[in-house]
Amino acid sequence: MSELQHEPLQASVEKRARRDRVFLNNPVIMQGLGLAPLIVAATTLKNGIMLSTAVLLLLTPTRVLAALLSRFSYFRFRGLIYALTAGAVYVGARYLMGLLYTPAELALLGLYLPLLVADPIVLKRYERPQRERTRTALRKGLITSCGYIAALLFISALREILGLGTLFGSPVIGGALFPMAQLPSGGFMVTALVMCVWRAAAAGVKKQMSLEVEPL
Amino acid sequence: MTEVLRALGSFFAYAVIAVFAQNAVFTRSLGVSRLVKLSEDDEVGSLVFGALLCAVQIISAMMGFFVNRWLFASAFWIYLRPLVMVLCSAAAFFVVLLVVVICFRVHGAREIVAVLPMATFNTCILGTLLLSTIQNFTFTQTLGFALGSGVGYVMAVALVRGAQERLQSEAVPATFRGLPITLLYIGILALAIYGFTGHMLAF
Repeated sequence: MSELQHEPLQASVEKRARRDRVFLNNPVIMQGLGLAPLIVAATTLKNGIMLSTAVLLLLTPTRVLAALLSRFSYFRFRGLIYALTAGAVYVGARYLMGLLYTPAELALLGLYLPLLVADPIVLKRYERPQRERTRTALRKGLITSCGYIAALLFISALREILGLGTLFGSPVIGGALFPMAQLPSGGFMVTALVMCVWRAAAAGVKKQMSLEVEPL
Repeated sequence: MTEVLRALGSFFAYAVIAVFAQNAVFTRSLGVSRLVKLSEDDEVGSLVFGALLCAVQIISAMMGFFVNRWLFASAFWIYLRPLVMVLCSAAAFFVVLLVVVICFRVHGAREIVAVLPMATFNTCILGTLLLSTIQNFTFTQTLGFALGSGVGYVMAVALVRGAQERLQSEAVPATFRGLPITLLYIGILALAIYGFTGHMLAF
């Protein structure tokens, strides 16, 4: 394989890696988006599932609606469009959350449920000057949600096991190995360690993908 | 006179609490995604960002206080609260924009205006507004808490930015460099604040 042929193949590997929002370019692990609910509220798998439902209900509809509305707005006001759209979508999302979970369960999330409205995982797109097409917004909204949910469920399950020794409330190990995992400071530390391992694994996979397209 | 002194005392007490004991970043992780980006980005000046954030925070907190008093009894408040609070910060956004454009003219204000959306639509602003309304603070408490949250956030940005040189040193293993080591550092600071406020770990 010639060098000229090799370069486009390397670029396609990079492109594939960028598009993989679940593992290779996870929004939490690679970009640090959506950290506030993850670090404070995602202390148990149950909380993680509730937050995942909220993200699923909020992220894609906001991104699609905001992509539509921002066609008519000046670039500097696009943040406003995205934030107001998220606030409007939250009304419906909160109503559905009320049907799915009890008030006591939702109280476990505290202010981190309404806070999703201003979270970069939902709003970040407004910072890019290019307008987004509705279909692209739908596709990227769905894959970003999947990536965020994957990281959220993994970290919340890990924090429950480490901090309480349980999973879904049922004991899985003798006791709490690292009780601090339930605190915000422990949340920062566990998230940092998960990021470290995840990034190393993703770098390994990218390297393997590059080797496969390398000229002999 | 006693009323004024009491209000001033309440303002400063809530401001100090919000800066240290209930720091937005270290105790509630509010605005941490933005902070991590800011600490790595040399283009956005901490001082400009901090001044804009504090201005938006205080103006929106004042509006949020009155709107909360007006709509608190509504059955739909639980659904509408984030939208209304975003509207308050949007109104604050336009007030600050107007002041910046008047003070610096259109050309001079360009760089500041570019930072303004980031300083307005973030979890630190919305989180502080939500906290003040959920906990039914009085007007002076709301203002003190808003100012303290803004100052506390700027302090956290300065702390993390100041440590970047050491955090990116060669002595740090490559896989930890960047976001993981910054989060570990914030976690250690959060633990220090947790201890400073008199808490004990359960082991």
